[in-house]
Amino acid sequence: MENTMNNEAKRRRAALRTRCFTIASAVIALAGAAMFFLPFVTFHLGRTDYTFTSLQVVSGFMNVNGTAVGLPVIAKIAAAVCPLAFLAGGVLVVLKLPRAASGCFMLAAIAPLAVMMTGNSITSTFLDLGVSRVEMSYHVAMAVMLVAGLVAAVLSMSTKGVDRLAEAVFLVFACVSVGAVLIITIYMIAAGTPAIAEIGLGNFLFGTEWAPTSGKYGILYMILASVFGTLGAILIGVPIGLFTAIFLAELAPRRLAGIVRPAVELLAGIPSVIYGFFGMIIIVPAIKAMFPSTFGDSLLAMILILAIMVLPTIVNVSETALRAVPVSYKEASLALGNTHVGTIFKVMIPAAKSGILAGVILGVGRAIGETMAVIMVCGNVVQFPELLSTVRPLTAGVVLEMSYSYGLHRQALFSIGLVLFVFIMIVNISFTMISRRGVKIDGRE
Amino acid sequence: MAVSNAAGTDTAALAPGGYPSLHRSRRRVKDGVLRGLIYLCAGITVCVLVGLIAYILIQGVPYITWSFLSTPYSARNEALKGILPMIINTLYIVAITLLIVTPVGLSAAIYLTQYAKQGRLVKAIRFTTEVLSGVPSIIFGLFGYTVFCVMLGMGVSILAGCLTMTICILPTIVRTTEESLLAVPDSYKEGALALGAGKLRVVLGIVLPCAMPGVLTALILGMGRIVGESAALIFTSGMSYDMPREFFGHVMQSGRTLTLHLYQMASQATDPNAFHIAYATASVLLILVFLLNRLASLLSHVFDKSAKARG
Repeated sequence: MENTMNNEAKRRRAALRTRCFTIASAVIALAGAAMFFLPFVTFHLGRTDYTFTSLQVVSGFMNVNGTAVGLPVIAKIAAAVCPLAFLAGGVLVVLKLPRAASGCFMLAAIAPLAVMMTGNSITSTFLDLGVSRVEMSYHVAMAVMLVAGLVAAVLSMSTKGVDRLAEAVFLVFACVSVGAVLIITIYMIAAGTPAIAEIGLGNFLFGTEWAPTSGKYGILYMILASVFGTLGAILIGVPIGLFTAIFLAELAPRRLAGIVRPAVELLAGIPSVIYGFFGMIIIVPAIKAMFPSTFGDSLLAMILILAIMVLPTIVNVSETALRAVPVSYKEASLALGNTHVGTIFKVMIPAAKSGILAGVILGVGRAIGETMAVIMVCGNVVQFPELLSTVRPLTAGVVLEMSYSYGLHRQALFSIGLVLFVFIMIVNISFTMISRRGVKIDGRE
Repeated sequence: MAVSNAAGTDTAALAPGGYPSLHRSRRRVKDGVLRGLIYLCAGITVCVLVGLIAYILIQGVPYITWSFLSTPYSARNEALKGILPMIINTLYIVAITLLIVTPVGLSAAIYLTQYAKQGRLVKAIRFTTEVLSGVPSIIFGLFGYTVFCVMLGMGVSILAGCLTMTICILPTIVRTTEESLLAVPDSYKEGALALGAGKLRVVLGIVLPCAMPGVLTALILGMGRIVGESAALIFTSGMSYDMPREFFGHVMQSGRTLTLHLYQMASQATDPNAFHIAYATASVLLILVFLLNRLASLLSHVFDKSAKARG
């Protein structure tokens, strides 16, 4: 009897809680929607302030020096979406559709951020009109909307109980990496294309002269330096890495493996600046001593440093791949009279081929993208890359001139970034495809 | 004989009489050479590492004094050549980045291992995490500069550097945490569920505590990555070496980390003093990285042991 009472009371309390949460989130939704009519953004132009409500952002324009200035479309969309999303969320939560409602609230929370993106274009619009100083203040309104939206989203999800709320929160955080990749892709393209459009894709990619001061932006030699450097590093790094992996997976006595494996791990953890420094004080002088007519800073130094830096990646991935080869393969080969070393090279490596290839591709990605270590040893002169000449790869091109570049020059640096990004994406996607294929083969057998 | 025929296609495997021999095939010259090469390569790997570390430490450790670690840096003043501001900036960036990345990475890993059903979204999350881990840090630097410093108006500041680093190390954290969460035996969860615990309580009360050493390992790996990062920070957190004036206000100031200090010192090749500072800074960095590395492997060792004890 007492038990049923308890259950009854529990249920009633839960219902009450649900109702409270629903009402609270509906109230916040209404308040959020009402912000449509409250001040949202203020422009300080010289001594004049223009304050806009969201409604006016959507419909209005400013009269600056006799010219009508409308706000960018993105800002208008953001200002319109925010209250609408609040309203929709409020309706949905009353209709007992908390998941859709919290989605709407999140949209409402994030939408105002889009106004930030337009900041630059607004500033430049005013600069064109002869207004020297423009400041936008929208931070208070934006913070309020962000907090209100998030609180409403949490409240509306809470109507379904704390477990569902937790799941939703975990899900949102899990999506951060998806969002990051999307935003990075969009930004690299948005920041990289204007300069390419202005210079011309052919001139940019295949031009051989890089002289920003005289308006020549050709990055062919940088691309070649990156490609040659990477190829060289792979040519040296892969055999050494693969053999080290074989040593670790098959031949090493326990104690020796206990020394080599932590060493490889540590090699992976050493900062790239330290590799660069090491290259600067050991490898570069050594090359100079061997070839006195050169500076020592060269493609060769870059290749050697990169070869060391890709070692851990290749060792780790290849070792994993070798260990994943079914023992039965090895046993069958040994039973047929093959030697251990013969088994490794004739049976295990072919079986682990796709895993090893994945490691090599990962190494290629590391080598192309490596920046600081390379800058410190490659000499940084843009010219056709020969083994002993100084070179400048793509990554170095971006870093070295970033601090003092402006205008088209800076945009061109972002375009170099975009080229690098495209390279990396190709490498990444082929890595994913190959490692997936590897898994499939293993799964079938 | 048929057995050795299958393997002994090499002429070297044939005994003098022309018959294939099991005994001889074990000592083929080629095998010996390959074996030698394998040992040589493993040796090269270790020697490179040992040589690099030994050389830098031998050159750098004598310059690490208490005053080097505890005085500010000044380009002009010969008496002020310490690295205290760089140490503080590095600590700021490590602490704030971990503060942001821990809830995000942990939640993502929990969602992927405990809640997600196989679907398009989960595939997208996994794919993008993989892609993120392959993006080089210079791209993160460019991205962080445009988005955090310029667009969101943070300027070149430690906070912008932290946000950039968060995206940078997120994949490491998610993947390592995921592995340790997956290693918790299902029977634990089932036991708790059978006793009437809700899903959230099972996750936070049973799974997470069991996976704690793994989570800590992930965080330490992340710390190592942050300490060693340079290209992503050069545009976002900047090169200023001023001592912090306010505890919280410093977050919005530009600040040079140890790695960037090393880069800057090493590129002033003409000044022998700068080279000493570079050696000493490199040694400090190496020691830090080594300690973090040992700590991580110690923790994962503990984790393996307790996982084995659980069966």
